[in-house]
Amino acid sequence: MTPAGLYAALASASRCTPGCSDKDVVWQSGKLRLYRYRPLERSRARRSAAVPLLIVYALVNRPYMMDLQEDRSLIRGLLEQGLDVYLIDWGYPDGADRFITLGDYIDGLLGACVERILSAHGLRALNLLGVCQGGVFSLCYAALHPERVRNLVTMVTPVDFHTPDDLLSKWVRHIDVPAWVAKGNVPGDALNQLFLSLMPFRLSHQKYMDLFMDAPTQAQADTFMRVEQWIFDSPDQAGAAFEEFVISMYQENRLARNQLTINGRQVDLRTLKRPVLNLIGTKDHLVPPAASLALGPLVGSKDYTALEFALGHIGMYISARAQHEVPPAIARWLAQR
Amino acid sequence: MANDPWNQWKAFAEQTARAVPGALPIAELAGRFAAAARAYLEKSSQAPQSAADEAAAAFGNFLRDQAMACCRFPWSADSGGTAPAPWGPMADLPALGLSREHQQRWQRMADAALRVADAQRRLQTLWSDALRDAAAEFAARLSAGAGASDQADAHAPGSPRDAEARGSAALRRLYDSWIDCAERAYAAIAHSEPFSSALADFVNAGSSWRREFTASIEHGSKLIDLPTRGEINSLNARLMAVEEQLRTARRQPAAAAKRRPGPKAARASGVPAGRRARAKRAPRS
Repeated sequence: MTPAGLYAALASASRCTPGCSDKDVVWQSGKLRLYRYRPLERSRARRSAAVPLLIVYALVNRPYMMDLQEDRSLIRGLLEQGLDVYLIDWGYPDGADRFITLGDYIDGLLGACVERILSAHGLRALNLLGVCQGGVFSLCYAALHPERVRNLVTMVTPVDFHTPDDLLSKWVRHIDVPAWVAKGNVPGDALNQLFLSLMPFRLSHQKYMDLFMDAPTQAQADTFMRVEQWIFDSPDQAGAAFEEFVISMYQENRLARNQLTINGRQVDLRTLKRPVLNLIGTKDHLVPPAASLALGPLVGSKDYTALEFALGHIGMYISARAQHEVPPAIARWLAQR
Repeated sequence: MANDPWNQWKAFAEQTARAVPGALPIAELAGRFAAAARAYLEKSSQAPQSAADEAAAAFGNFLRDQAMACCRFPWSADSGGTAPAPWGPMADLPALGLSREHQQRWQRMADAALRVADAQRRLQTLWSDALRDAAAEFAARLSAGAGASDQADAHAPGSPRDAEARGSAALRRLYDSWIDCAERAYAAIAHSEPFSSALADFVNAGSSWRREFTASIEHGSKLIDLPTRGEINSLNARLMAVEEQLRTARRQPAAAAKRRPGPKAARASGVPAGRRARAKRAPRS
């Protein structure tokens, strides 16, 4: 591809929008949207019997990464396995949301989504899939409301925030977080700069050189730009919840110590007796594998499975390999329970 | 051209520069990297070992300087390299009289700015150390022969088109090797206590400066009767309290209704449930 062709391909790809699977808003509250994905034609029959699976995504990026495009969609993979998939979109917090707490997110909004789904299906418990920070939320919710969760899947989820290779944790340990947040929201751009600073040469330079060197097709340019959009489409963080999360997790490591409290109630991972599947990316630079693997000895469940994939944090959702391996692994594990 | 990513990069950046003039330095950077890498390959394949080592070190130093200039962090701002001018005797000027609160606020801001600059300088030094280490490791790798295949590739016989492709592959391996060295050296520094400490000082001093600056802005806003963020936060807190009271009030009747006997029980007693409750509460005469 000539430089002019590459320029045109990227310019054209700039107009690509992420998201490929059909979905409906089944509930909304404030900026939150709860989506239910429509079944694929070829897996429609299998879905009717499935216990719904609620995906809880992180606050720090947009959840469309779960369904980026047809050949790179964890959600599509799950639909193909016949699962009934729901997804929480937390929305973009603004200045009026600065006082939303972790309790509001976990007990309030996540809890309300679970109740809506259970009520619609006439069930007492559902399957929960938490991704990254959403995995932490799912762990907290499942520990506080074990009767509502039938099976728990965590994906690239940090549990022990003080492992030796956790750079973010080292960086924030001496920061005066309340002064930094200052009762405001934390700009998404500031977090992006932080994440890029973890591997500045690869993420700010080599990635773009690789694009030139590999002479991408239009389809590859489209994928690149969709991922690029996702990386930098970062919502501001509601100040109060962000402050709580950084102090409780990154500074004080309370989740791993069973010392975390949400709305005055202790989150004790030992109360988690339901089956747990923990999915780990061994090349994850954001959530070191050791930070996720710490979950095993902490949960009270006798049915705990850890699956490791030789993938990075983002590769766990969108790499070609993940499409073939991750959704079937989740579906198989759920089917056995 | 089609097989040479550096020329592609350069041409792409030149095209971008037509729309964004600021992109031109990127094009120049691509050209400089390609020229320096080719110069290294040329010298290292023809000279004795000492000259090859010298060429490797020169190439490493070139990359260090480029990275220093190109990677922009909050701590690599231009002001990071020089000590900020002290505020002089004003810094300790006793605050007296009508303006004492304002003077103290400005003194605190000046102090915070000094601390920001100090932390920025420490970070800049650490960043510079990381790049120095990266350049040293890169040069050592090249001298140890890691670049031998690149040199062989670049100079192997074949058609001009093959030679161009091999040359580009060699450049890419050099580039990837540099990125590896740079990331390793940076990670070693970034995981260190001095880096975390300097970063925290940088953020904390910045927070202090912002707090005082916000206070100044709020003071000015009040003088011309504009709403301030503090007032909006206060209203927000009141609204949340009212919402919580409303939720509690809604929950209470529902809970009370659950506690009340159902219609069957009420009918059995012959007294409507509400009246029965009131009758229970009524004092006996």
